[in-house]
Amino acid sequence: MLARMLLRFRAIISLLLVAGIWQLVWALAVVPEKYFPSIGTVVAAGWSMLASGELLLGDAVTFSRALIGLAGAAIIGVILAVISDLSPFFRKGFRPISDLAQPIPPAALVPMAVFALGLGWKLYAFVIILVTVWPTYLNGLAALQSVSEVQLRTGQMLGFGRWQQLWHIKLPAAMPEIFAGVRYAATISLIAVIVSEMLAGRDGVGFMIFKKAFALRTPEVFALMFVIALNGVVLNGLVGGLRWLVSGWHMRMMERAP
Amino acid sequence: MASLLTARDLVKSYGDGSGMLTIIDKLTLDIAPGEFVSLVGPSGCGKTTLLMCLAGLLDFDTGTLEFKGTNVKGTPRGLSVVFQDYSRSLLPWKDNLGNVLFGMRQIADSTTAKTQRARELLDAVGLSGFEKHYPWQVSGGMQQRVAIARALAARSELLLLDEPLAAVDAQTRTDMQDLVLQLAERYRQTCVLVTHDVEEAVYMAGRVLVLGPRPTKVVEEVAVDLPRPRDQLTTREAPGFLAARHKVFSLIRAMRQAQKAM
Repeated sequence: MLARMLLRFRAIISLLLVAGIWQLVWALAVVPEKYFPSIGTVVAAGWSMLASGELLLGDAVTFSRALIGLAGAAIIGVILAVISDLSPFFRKGFRPISDLAQPIPPAALVPMAVFALGLGWKLYAFVIILVTVWPTYLNGLAALQSVSEVQLRTGQMLGFGRWQQLWHIKLPAAMPEIFAGVRYAATISLIAVIVSEMLAGRDGVGFMIFKKAFALRTPEVFALMFVIALNGVVLNGLVGGLRWLVSGWHMRMMERAP
Repeated sequence: MASLLTARDLVKSYGDGSGMLTIIDKLTLDIAPGEFVSLVGPSGCGKTTLLMCLAGLLDFDTGTLEFKGTNVKGTPRGLSVVFQDYSRSLLPWKDNLGNVLFGMRQIADSTTAKTQRARELLDAVGLSGFEKHYPWQVSGGMQQRVAIARALAARSELLLLDEPLAAVDAQTRTDMQDLVLQLAERYRQTCVLVTHDVEEAVYMAGRVLVLGPRPTKVVEEVAVDLPRPRDQLTTREAPGFLAARHKVFSLIRAMRQAQKAM
């Protein structure tokens, strides 16, 4: 009975555990309270930012940047994957570019991008897309190239041309893999937005964290960190919902597998 | 009667130079409308390659291939293939009805008419009630039934069957043999069955073409003069069946022994 209860509420229990440890660290004053406030103080700080409207305003900006950037990067990633799949020439030529660009962290891109693109939306678009496009591109390309021979033959048998083959067979077959990439990209997109806002921003949660941290307003900084985590959860939820709509068959198929 | 599918001096090889491997060497065959022809041969003789060439899914090097008097370039309308690997030839993102409808993609007709026909075909292969199931929710035998329904859905006249029953269990297999025969009759299909099972080849066909070892060609033609509908018990006990089986089997055994001796 107790075991069943524990199992059912395991998510809440693990959260409570973290909160308990937090309060313990605070109560024992392992870190000076100035740098490690109690949960109550953090919640109060968050509430006051919410009440003043600055939190919603800042988060709306951050979240929409991450979402738009992610969507753009996903679309560009799929398009690049399709082109690479159709043309070995492009694939081989693009390879060194993707190999070089892929490991660049967003923080390293911002200073250069500020000079070239200024502090506006172009900066965000550039940074987010350049770091977020790769999971979709690489997963999509791998999936497009490993579509089963028999499925392609089936399309061939029905007289499909190259584009029908792509639209009716290759893309649907590759969708589950593509979404695995987009899911991964969602987190990267959020990181890229926050980092860009911190280094070059004039608004958004990243900028707010920086500002509050310099003003030593620690409770607000913690509250903002929690908001960022929440953004990640919501973004993942949106991607998961879309994935269910587009390739839910695959998720159900995987659930059946032993 | 004019033949439906004609191959003359078909040659197919892979690779080039010293690594060139000839799979089919000057193969000639004729398939008449309404026939059921089995192709058997020793393992590894290139049966599947031959079938893919006949279907227009693989290019051949030289020779001519005509379907209804027209040169085959790509799979012609009216020709359908049932692949061996049924579990992967069906599209897992479509349910069974959707998979059968997919076979009709190139047919101009209203959606309602197509849907009705797809339902009829699923019913004909014994799968009514499974329209909304996905291929991965049903057994291997059922998946192959869906694949057959999809092939018929394309308004085919000629069905090329590439060892379609190789992967199903023995009991399902005999049921499926009778189902294929019954569907061929009902939908007036000309059939070419590739199989490695001599008994199956004889049981199904009116004519068995025995293929030689690689590079392959037709080495012998065995007529199976047995009444239809065939019956799993009486047909298999008929003297004509046993004689045809004996002839095909000894031909293949002789080829395999010759191969081993080499």
